[in-house]
Amino acid sequence: MKPLSMRKSRLPLVALLLIFAATLTAKAQGAKIQLSNLDHLAARASQTVDVNIDERLVQIAAKVLSSEDSDEAKIKKIVNGLKGIYVKSFEFENTGEFTQADVESVRTQLRGPAWSKLVNVTSKKDGSVEVYLMMVGDQISGLAVLSVEDKELTVVNIVGPVDLEKLSRLEGQFGVPELGIEAPKPKTKN
Amino acid sequence: MRLDAPPATSRKKTNIAAVVAIALMFALAPSVQADGDDFGSVVKMIEHFYHVKHDGIPFLARAGMKAATTAARLKGGTAKRIAEAGSIKLAIFQDQEFNSAGRFTKFRTSLNSALAQSWMPFVQTLSAKDEEQTYIFLRNAGDNFHVLVITIEQREATVVQVTLSPKNLALLMQDPNGMGRAITEDATTTDPE
Repeated sequence: MKPLSMRKSRLPLVALLLIFAATLTAKAQGAKIQLSNLDHLAARASQTVDVNIDERLVQIAAKVLSSEDSDEAKIKKIVNGLKGIYVKSFEFENTGEFTQADVESVRTQLRGPAWSKLVNVTSKKDGSVEVYLMMVGDQISGLAVLSVEDKELTVVNIVGPVDLEKLSRLEGQFGVPELGIEAPKPKTKN
Repeated sequence: MRLDAPPATSRKKTNIAAVVAIALMFALAPSVQADGDDFGSVVKMIEHFYHVKHDGIPFLARAGMKAATTAARLKGGTAKRIAEAGSIKLAIFQDQEFNSAGRFTKFRTSLNSALAQSWMPFVQTLSAKDEEQTYIFLRNAGDNFHVLVITIEQREATVVQVTLSPKNLALLMQDPNGMGRAITEDATTTDPE
């Protein structure tokens, strides 16, 4: 049996390793936002859609779809590298069925230092559409869209390398609704 | 200090009370257990919650149910079944009332927690107005996947479990909202000859 002093001296190293492992895990899963606090809205919503496509499922799609079939190749290209697609959408018959606190429960998660809100993003839809990107270094590690209308609340969360162009190609597929997002146009010189 | 053993009649009463308590615990516990037959447990859960009874439908009787094929839902052209051969489990509830008076979210919570250990929730669509619900759960089945689809409407419900190849799962994943319908139709349709 090893002396107690030797075992004690290893404790800081073990603690450091645990912190390092926890940081890595947090970075890998950090782009996934918690949406279960919206679940209570299902009792009032005329239509609730809840889609969970985790990394394993995304990888299956990326792996088994053919690169030679043009339709399959398109999908394969879109999902390649993604680590998850999560959608929660609520439609209501009347206004006032969800509160600002419901919206804030999502928005507060997107105020973290790793998330940045894209400005100048517009949508063809009514109401407000906010798009957030999570950056780790110079890599995009996730995207979140919060769409709020009088009678509709939609949150789309895509984990992995995704940009607005990829998002627009995902619309209408894998449970991602039509968001009508228009990326900011690059400024042109006169 | 000496502790006296309780009298025999008192011990007997305690034992009976314990047995009754355990029996009640089992009777009142959420009806789905994470055992091998989650399909059967889900059927029982619907029966308990909505006070309905599923119809016993012999496999051959399904021949006359629907004539359409769902093959068109899968891209690739040629008509083929979605589910792997012989993998379909089906329970149908017909012409019965599925009204929980607004408590359907409790059913959802119970279902999700009961299946949480062995199944992954994939898609859930709900409508509070008419209490229409569709749940799709997935789990690994060797090289393939088990897909459990629970559809509840106002007057009917179906529970379908099929085995899908990864390719068919990947193709159906593109349209998660249509996936439940496609699998249910596939399970209740015979091959066109």
